[in-house]
Amino acid sequence: MFHGSGLFAFLLMVLEWTRPGLSSPLRPICDLRVVDHFIKEAWDAEAALRACKDACSIATNFTVPLTRVDFDVWAAMNIEEQAQEVQSGIHVLNDAISSLQASNQTDVLQSHIDASINNIASIRQVLRSLSIPEYVPPTNVGEDKEMQKVSSISELFQVHINFLRGKVRLLVASAPVCHQGVS
Amino acid sequence: MTKMRSNRLKIVFMLCLGFVTIGGQHFESKVAQLLQDETEHIKCFVEGKDLTCFWEEEEERNHLHNQYTFTYSYENKNKMACAVSSLSLLASNKTIFFCKLAKTPFFATLHLQVLRDGQMLYTRSLNAENILFLDPPRNLTVMSSGKEGQLNVSWLPPQLKYMDDSMIYEVRYAAEGSDLGKVEVIKVSTMLVLFGLESDTRYKVWVRVKPDGVAYKGYWSAWTEPVFGVTPPSDVDPLIVLLVLSIGLILCLLSLTVILSHQKFLLKKLWPDIPTPEHKFPGLFTVYKGDFKEWMSHNNGSMWGRSVHVYTEELPSPLEVLSEVSLTSHGTSQREEMKPAEEDESERSDSGLTDRWRDPPHAHWLMDQLRALQENPESHSQSSLLQSHDTYVTLNQGDIEQQADDVFEETLPLQTLFSSAGTPSLSTSHSDLGSLQQSSGSGRLSSQSSLEYPNHTWPPKGPGYSYMAVADSGVSMDYSPMSSSRIAELGRHRIYTNDYKNEIFPHKWPLSGQYIKSG
Repeated sequence: MFHGSGLFAFLLMVLEWTRPGLSSPLRPICDLRVVDHFIKEAWDAEAALRACKDACSIATNFTVPLTRVDFDVWAAMNIEEQAQEVQSGIHVLNDAISSLQASNQTDVLQSHIDASINNIASIRQVLRSLSIPEYVPPTNVGEDKEMQKVSSISELFQVHINFLRGKVRLLVASAPVCHQGVS
Repeated sequence: MTKMRSNRLKIVFMLCLGFVTIGGQHFESKVAQLLQDETEHIKCFVEGKDLTCFWEEEEERNHLHNQYTFTYSYENKNKMACAVSSLSLLASNKTIFFCKLAKTPFFATLHLQVLRDGQMLYTRSLNAENILFLDPPRNLTVMSSGKEGQLNVSWLPPQLKYMDDSMIYEVRYAAEGSDLGKVEVIKVSTMLVLFGLESDTRYKVWVRVKPDGVAYKGYWSAWTEPVFGVTPPSDVDPLIVLLVLSIGLILCLLSLTVILSHQKFLLKKLWPDIPTPEHKFPGLFTVYKGDFKEWMSHNNGSMWGRSVHVYTEELPSPLEVLSEVSLTSHGTSQREEMKPAEEDESERSDSGLTDRWRDPPHAHWLMDQLRALQENPESHSQSSLLQSHDTYVTLNQGDIEQQADDVFEETLPLQTLFSSAGTPSLSTSHSDLGSLQQSSGSGRLSSQSSLEYPNHTWPPKGPGYSYMAVADSGVSMDYSPMSSSRIAELGRHRIYTNDYKNEIFPHKWPLSGQYIKSG
């Protein structure tokens, strides 16, 4: 009897260790229509919040990533540099939008905030599927030259949509995994 | 060597000039379009990766380009200046000032300002990725796909990196000469199959492009130059053609079979034989070669002869009464009287019926009349009741006399039928003869008379009146005495007086008033 229970415990440990279900990698999501879907939802949020200026203004500032893209400069960067820029920007953006959830907002605004947070999580999954390495900027570093400050929710969502349309989409479009086998 | 160098330089210069010209054409056309469509003072568009902003010179003011200053800033950075140039548009006769910014930053808000002599004139904030003004698609080709009513349209996108998958196209096509066109919108793909086109028709096709509005936004490009394509002619399904031909063949065969099987019947209906009475006169034309006298002499006992004799006896046609002749009057005086009466009566010949009936002729009077006829053959040359023309029957006068007795005997029963009072019928018969003669063939008269009553009832003139129906087939004559009662019967039915019978009436001509037909 002891041998039976011991054997069973040993079998569980082995199965827990190997984790056979998680060994298969994510299928790369190269179709830009997936990213376009998130971008369209970001457009809706930006359009809704563009009209909301006075009621949507808050006192604190948001730290948001820079969204400007110079195509020549971008083309000169390698994939790691591009990935680092995109991943750090997503992280910062997510923090800024998440901070809005705590404050009392209208139902419409709250729905857009929730949708944006979900979309950012989905974009992270897409980047993971493309084998884009994750990067978390260090918090103790001062003003990052790649960051900026905005003072309104409408500006926050403008940055949100511009970041997704620009750097995120360009990274997904140029992911090496999606161009394997193509000269 | 120097010549080659100079030639190369010239070629390069020409190429550069060509590119500049083409670009200039695109540039000027874009400027012209935005001058119309854009409402902002500072009108901007992105061509490739360069941002161009321009503004219009105020009317009736001739400013110099160095009076203007164009500045831009983004992401809270310091303002940067852009060189201002001027351009005169020949098409609209306007002057614009523009600034071309190379390496435009995308996905960032640009703040633009126009100052004139240091003073703010215009401002505008925009994102460069939202004002893309693309060049028209390249290499538009229209080809027939081989299928009915279809054309294959293909083109190349404008040369732009990063934006190939963010474009939407509009294809416009119209039949040549038609103003009505249709538009098809297609995303990303650079080829399209047009369906539902008319066969064997020349079509014009145009294409233009625009960013799809998700990642990039912008204006519709100019239409390409039209490209023509011809749809293939309508293709008749060979199976349908085969089926139609086979059905047609089957129908032809069937109709041919029917025609051949009923050939005789159809020929008889379409081309009926000209009726001849030869069979009624056996041997007349074959043996006696048309000599009726001879034939008659050899056919004394024939029914036709008897009927002819009887006919000669019964000349008085009941259809017309030319004159009343008393039994005691002489032939000549009668004739004289009758002639004008004939003329009168001849007009009434078409009545077809006699109103007055004569008493049955006395036997002696009848003989006298017959002799008179014989004595004056010329005047009574027409005494032959029937003028024979080929198949018409010629009556023999001699036979009439010879068989007068027989005729008398035979007519006696007939005479009994004539119950009305009046002159002997012989006189009327004489007049009838004359009238018949005048009609050049009794056939005509009878036909005339008979035709007068094709559908009418023969009005019975009273009890006891007997009528001799005269029917003419155009070839022969039918004379048949009928009783009034019978006439009344017949009157109810249509009398086809032009019918003829090809069969000889088998029995003798009944003198009791039976209906006789001879054909």
